[in-house]
Formats: sequence, structure tokens, C-alpha cells
Amino acid sequence: MGSELSPLVITLWVLNILVDSGGQLAFKAAASQPPHELDGVARWRFMLGKPWLWIGMGCYVAEFVFWLAFLSLVPLSDGVLLGSINIVAIMIAGRILFKERLAPLRVAGILLVSIGVAVVGLAG
Amino acid sequence: MSRRFYLIGFLVLMAFDTLAQLSFKQAGNAALPLELSPAWLARVFGQPWIYGAFVGYIGAFFTWMSLLKRAPIGPAFAASHLEIISVLALSHYLFGEDIGWPQIVGCLFIIAGIICLALSETEEPGEEHPSGTAGAARIVDNA
Repeated sequence: MGSELSPLVITLWVLNILVDSGGQLAFKAAASQPPHELDGVARWRFMLGKPWLWIGMGCYVAEFVFWLAFLSLVPLSDGVLLGSINIVAIMIAGRILFKERLAPLRVAGILLVSIGVAVVGLAG
Repeated sequence: MSRRFYLIGFLVLMAFDTLAQLSFKQAGNAALPLELSPAWLARVFGQPWIYGAFVGYIGAFFTWMSLLKRAPIGPAFAASHLEIISVLALSHYLFGEDIGWPQIVGCLFIIAGIICLALSETEEPGEEHPSGTAGAARIVDNA
């Protein structure tokens, strides 16, 4: 499928990675904000009053469109495999933004997923 | 709760995720040619497949939330990404896509990576889960 990785496909893929990661991280930020004593409806009201939850939702709407456009241009089998790179992007972003630990197994997992995506992306 | 609960739960999750991806592909195909314009969006939302994607998304979200109440995050994280296998198989049977060695080798690497990440999550109980980014990285998302 190498010949099908046109600039438009790559652009849509990168946009999808950006908005998916942005959305997940925005939700993570939203969930981290409310004080521990807030629970249930009060917790949701707090989050709805802050921008992070809305940024996350906006990212998901954009992702819906980008993913649909991306899949309309590539075979589904390649699309879902290439989409797995989002896992790697979120792990790395979690490390940078939330100081999450990159244990050896995580590094191995990130490398293996990346190799798998590269094999699919570069073959053909 | 029993192993049966997890098995059925993850099969349901896989089914919703698979439905979402198949519907996305069908909706995208039906709306071709791709043009980032209101006319393209009108074509997308003017045919039924896009609503299959919604059903898949919403169903996967609620199934995932139910499973997370009881399942440990590590195995749950791995099991929740295995729809790539079902999507690969169905894209061959339904869309006639060629599944050659790049897809198979790539899929095996990705699954091995997901298993490593799941084991990593399992080894770090309490530190980050269930709100760590690994847990959040589940593709009620796309992909």
C-alpha cells in the first residue's frame, strides 16, 4: 500500500494522531482537576465548567471526521493497524506531560507497536 | 465475578469496536469522493453506515466502562485493542482486501507491543491506573 500513502493520506493520519492524543490528554487533564472530595454530579459540574473537557470533546469530533476521511482513502486492514500508533503517541505524551514512568516493558511495548506500524506503512 | 463475565464482556467490546470500524469504512466509501466540504459531510450523514459507527462507539464506551469497574487495567487494556484481529479478518472477507505478510507481521508486532504495555500496567498497580494515559489510550477511539 506504499503507493497509496499520498500526502493527503499522511496529513489525515498525522491529524488523527494529533487530535486523538490531544483529546485523550485533555480528558486526562479534565479528570485530574476536580478536588478529591467532589463526587458524582458535583464532579461532573466542576469539569463541565472548565475548558479541558470541552477541548477533549472538540478533539473527538475532529477525530471522527479525520478518521472517516482517512479510512475512505486506505484499506481498512491497513487503516486500523496504522491507527495503532496512537497508543505510542499517548504513552509518550503521558511521559512528557504527566511525568508517567517509562518502565522497560513500556519501552519494549512502544518499540514493538512502532515496528508493527512501520512494517505496514513501509511495505508494498 | 467469573471468567465468563470477562470473556463475554470483552467479546461484546470487540464486537462494538469492530462494528464501528467496519461502519466507518463503509460510510467513507459511500461518501466518496473525499472532499473536506459540507457536501461531503452531507453525503456521510445521508446514508445509514455512519450511524453504525455511532452505535459501535457508544456501545464500546459503555461496555468498556462496565468492564473497567471490575477488570484489572493491564489485561483490560490489552483485550480492548484486540479488535485489530477481527477487523483484519473481516476486511478480507467483506471488502476483499489483500491481507499479505506486511499486515500479518505488522499485526503480530503490534499485538506483542500491546501485551508488553498491558504487562507494564499490571506491574504498576495503584500508581496511575485507571486514569493513567495507558488506560485512557483505549480506542473507544479510533484506532
